[in-house]
Amino acid sequence: MLRIDQYAYSNRLRFTHPVEKFAFAVITLIIGLAASSLITSLVITLLMAGVVILRAGIPMRFYLKLMSIPMSFLILGVLTIAVSFSGEPFSFLWGVKIWGFTLGVTAGGLQTAVNLFWKSLGAISCLYFLSLTTPMVQIISVLKRLKVPSLFIELMNLIYRYIFVLIETADKVYISQSSRCGYASIKTSYYSMAQLASNLFTKSYHNSQMLYTTLMARCYRGELNVLELPYAFSKKNVALVAFIDLGLVILALWTGGVLSAGGHS
Amino acid sequence: MFFLPEVILEARDIEFEYPDGTKALRGVSMGIPKGKKTAVLGPNGAGKTTIFLHFNGILKPTKGKIRFAGRDICYSHAFLLELRKNVGIVFQDPDTQLFSASVLQEISFGPLNLGLSRENVLRRVNQAMAATEIVELKDRPTHFLSYGQKKLVSIADILAMQPTVLICDEPTAWLDPGNAARIMDLFDRINQEGVTIIFSTHDVDLAYSWADYIFVMNQGLVAGEGIPEEVFQNESLLKEADLNKPWLIDVYDELKRKRWVVADMPPPKTRQELMSRISNSP
Repeated sequence: MLRIDQYAYSNRLRFTHPVEKFAFAVITLIIGLAASSLITSLVITLLMAGVVILRAGIPMRFYLKLMSIPMSFLILGVLTIAVSFSGEPFSFLWGVKIWGFTLGVTAGGLQTAVNLFWKSLGAISCLYFLSLTTPMVQIISVLKRLKVPSLFIELMNLIYRYIFVLIETADKVYISQSSRCGYASIKTSYYSMAQLASNLFTKSYHNSQMLYTTLMARCYRGELNVLELPYAFSKKNVALVAFIDLGLVILALWTGGVLSAGGHS
Repeated sequence: MFFLPEVILEARDIEFEYPDGTKALRGVSMGIPKGKKTAVLGPNGAGKTTIFLHFNGILKPTKGKIRFAGRDICYSHAFLLELRKNVGIVFQDPDTQLFSASVLQEISFGPLNLGLSRENVLRRVNQAMAATEIVELKDRPTHFLSYGQKKLVSIADILAMQPTVLICDEPTAWLDPGNAARIMDLFDRINQEGVTIIFSTHDVDLAYSWADYIFVMNQGLVAGEGIPEEVFQNESLLKEADLNKPWLIDVYDELKRKRWVVADMPPPKTRQELMSRISNSP
C-alpha cells in the first residue's frame, strides 16, 4: 500500500489533471462492468496495463505483482461459479457422479466463470490505474469538485495524513520494544502487542487534541479550508480519453451481441 | 537601556490550572519587548508552553490578564481571531501541526482563514515558501518530508499569516546543527522586517548569542529576566533554574582571571568576537 502511494507521487502522469485520470478510470470501469463480452474485458485489462506500464512508467514487475494480489481471491470465487451440482448428467463437460448426482463443470458455468474472471480483472486494473497515477490529494480534490460533503472530504484528508503519522509512531514503539526483547517469545509478544495497541490509542488521542489546539492557533473556524491545487486541462488527453472510451463502448456493444442479432440478455 | 521599553505582549500575574489540577502557572508576569528577539529558558514543566498558549488566547488564565498592544484581550470570537492573526505559534512537534498531505494546501490554511482572496493567499503561500526555502517541496507530500523539512513547513504555515509576533516552541529541538542554524537565520531575517520573535529553548549558548532579552522560568514562575549578559552572570538564578553558563562566558571568565584579555569589557556575544578579542589582546 505504501509502495502504491510512493508511485502515485512519482509516476509520469502525476501532474496530469486529476479529473482526466479520474474520468478515464471510472468511465472505463463502468463500461467494463456493463459490457457482457469477454473481448471488452480483455481489452480493458491490457489497455490499463499498457497505460500504467508504458505511459505512467510503473515497473512491469511491480504491476504484475499487484495484479497477482487479488488472484487467489478471484480464482477461489470463480471456481465456485464454474463448478455446479445437478441431477441432470448430460449438460456436464466433465464431472464426477455421487449418488446419482453429478458434480462438475458445465459449458454455461465455465463461460460465466471465465467472463467474470476477466471482468473482475478489468475492473481491478481500472482501480489500479487510478491509485497508481493519482495521489490521494488529487482524488480528494476531484471528489470535492463532485460536491461530496465537506465533512467527508475533511475526514478523508485527516485520515490520509494521519495514517502515516500512526504508522511512523507504531514503528518507533515497535523498534523500542524489540530492542528490549519485547518480542522474544510468544508470551512477551502478546504482551508487547497489547501495549503497543493501547499506547497507540492514547498517543493518537493526545495527537488529536494537539491538532485541535494547533488548528485553533491558526484561526480554525470549523472548516478545513485549503487552496485548490492548480492543474491544467489538456485537450489532447480529454480527446484521447473520449476516443478510447467511445471505442470501448462500440466494442462492447458489438461483441456483447447488442449490435448483432439480439444477444443473449 | 538596551531595548526600547515598548511592550507588545504582556502577561500580568497569570495563574493557570489544568483540569487535572496541575498548577502550571503561579503568577507569571512578562513583558515582551516589541520588535525584539526574546528567549524563554527553563526546565521541562516550567510553564513555557503554557504561557505561550495564553499569548494566543488558546488557554484562558484562571487569574490575571494578557494584554496585546496595550489592550486587555477579551475572549470573544472576533477578538480571538484578530489576536491569532497577529500572534502566531509554531508548535514543537510538526507532526501534530501539519494536517494536510500537501505542503501547498497546508500552508494555505492559515491565510485562507483570514478571509483573504485566493490570489492573495497563493501569493502569501509562495512568499512563505520562498522565505523558508522550501519552494522545491511544494509538490512533495507531507509524509515524505524529513523532520527538518516538516519543521520548516510548520514555520511557513505561520509566516503565511504574516503575524506581528511569532512564537516558536523549541525551534531547534531535534534538529541537526545545519538546520538549526538555517532556522535561526530565518528568524533573524523575519525579525529585521519588524516581527517580534519569542522562542523557548534549552540551549543556553543559543539564547545567549541570539536573544535580545531573556526570561527564565521555573516551576510556573518567572525566576528572572534581563538582557543575556546580566542573566547569565546571575549565579543564583542559573542555579535555581538548573541552567548552565554559556561556554562563551565560562571561557571569557577564565581568560579574564588569567589576565589574557582586557577585563573591563562586557563578555563577547559570539565565537568570532571572542576570537578577535583573544588575538587583539596584549
